[in-house]
Amino acid sequence: MPILDDKVIGEVKKALQNMKNEVHLVLFTQSFECGYCKETHQLLEELVSTNSLLKLEVHQFESDKEAVDKYGVDKIPAIAIIGEKDYGIRFYGIPAGYEFSSLLSAILMVSTGMVKLGEDTKKFLDKLSKPVHMQVFVTPTCPYCPQAVILAHQMAFYSNNVKADMVEVSEFPHLAQKYQVQGVPRTTINENWYQEGAAPEQMIIAKIEESL
Amino acid sequence: MLDFNFSFSAEVDNEQEYDLIIIGGGPAGLSAGLYAARYKLKTLLIEKAPVAGGQLTATEWVENYPGFPEPVLGKKLAQDMENQAKFFGLEIVNESVQRVSLSPEIKEIVTNANTWKARTVLIATGSSPRKLGVPGENEFSGRGVSYCATCDGPFYPEKTVAVIGGGNTAFEESLFIAKYAAKIFIIHRREGFSADPIIIERVKANAKIELITNTIVEEIDFGGESRKLKLKNTVTAQQSELPIDGVFVFIGSSPNSEIFKDQIALDGGYIVTDRNHATSTPGVWAAGDAEAKTLRQVATAVGDGALAAYNIHKYLENMEIV
Repeated sequence: MPILDDKVIGEVKKALQNMKNEVHLVLFTQSFECGYCKETHQLLEELVSTNSLLKLEVHQFESDKEAVDKYGVDKIPAIAIIGEKDYGIRFYGIPAGYEFSSLLSAILMVSTGMVKLGEDTKKFLDKLSKPVHMQVFVTPTCPYCPQAVILAHQMAFYSNNVKADMVEVSEFPHLAQKYQVQGVPRTTINENWYQEGAAPEQMIIAKIEESL
Repeated sequence: MLDFNFSFSAEVDNEQEYDLIIIGGGPAGLSAGLYAARYKLKTLLIEKAPVAGGQLTATEWVENYPGFPEPVLGKKLAQDMENQAKFFGLEIVNESVQRVSLSPEIKEIVTNANTWKARTVLIATGSSPRKLGVPGENEFSGRGVSYCATCDGPFYPEKTVAVIGGGNTAFEESLFIAKYAAKIFIIHRREGFSADPIIIERVKANAKIELITNTIVEEIDFGGESRKLKLKNTVTAQQSELPIDGVFVFIGSSPNSEIFKDQIALDGGYIVTDRNHATSTPGVWAAGDAEAKTLRQVATAVGDGALAAYNIHKYLENMEIV
């Protein structure tokens, strides 16, 4: 049985009609001890069937060490969104519910090159010289979460120094514990700094500055 | 079961001047957008979230919106409203408004990514959850203090939580949280509740939920070994402690009107409008929860939006005759 019904497939086609360049969805999966690997794999297969510019590349997490190292993936299911290059955009856990909009948004951004960041944000990112790792913790039923995920992914797309992950927290309870996540969205920046909620660009930038 | 919530709009040209710009994509904005598109007004709706619907998207079930005898999922209702408005030609962009210039004849809306121009503006920015304003609230926000049950309910499987408030939201969301939590205390500062009687009955019938009345929260103390609320009875003045794992705050909302405050008349933060939803500034209307009014529901918001769009349509027609 398909995960995406005909109506949703039709809407996805419309949403992706402005894609310009090829986008590779690089999936890391394994057949055991992974709650949503199977569903994520099927979701991506159905998704790439909607647009010829979308390509799916599948790697086995436990055996394909070379790819695991190349993409720096440390948990599964994992999806890297790759365009002309690897921008450091990752999804950990299934991008279902409201996070499906974050996935489509990342695909469109990488395909078209269009980012909606403010001028001040761009100036800040232009000057950034140290690595920044953002992990945005979400649940699929959280309507405010995609805003935080999309902002982090935009920063990763714009700056070579920024990497940004969506982390579906119910699939990785040990990370919820480690980063004290008990509400979403919550963005951790370079491990020790965090921002609550779907915060505006200026607030995230202030946190990044503190973390450097 | 997996579901997928998303939406996307066509690429929009920011050089052109709009007849109407709607700020906010909740029920009021989407209803106004639907009507305006059918009046053939050149209309743009600006919504900060990638999926429209506003607070409706954070509501699990809606069961008092006419036309749906079975409860309808808030996110489903929101998505249908958005699709319907887009079907008739409403353009939507996902940007966040930073500042506005409402007095000139041609109004300017500056977002994080663009500057938009329009002859009229409809403010449908809605409201945000109000905070308790007690020690510990900000400190533990996102670490045990929450304002969104659909977002954070799943963090409390078999746990004990408190819900603060006595209105529909507090009661309805308690029923949602009861799907996860083992025990829920609803804490309300008065004796009586303002939730609809039908929901109060349902909550009272739920064995997981216990009601604590005439009680206020004085402090959220989540810093120590065990988490607790410090409470005070408003009648006896007796203080007590309640051990819990998390707290949800649903004590009403405050309007999202900050960026307009110097340009239109407000009353306690709410936007003052006349019976046609016009604000104090010519060419600017308001609809929905951000308005000063008595009932904030999906049903009232869509009515506000429709009426505002109609009057904007008439206003633009009259301008053209003159």
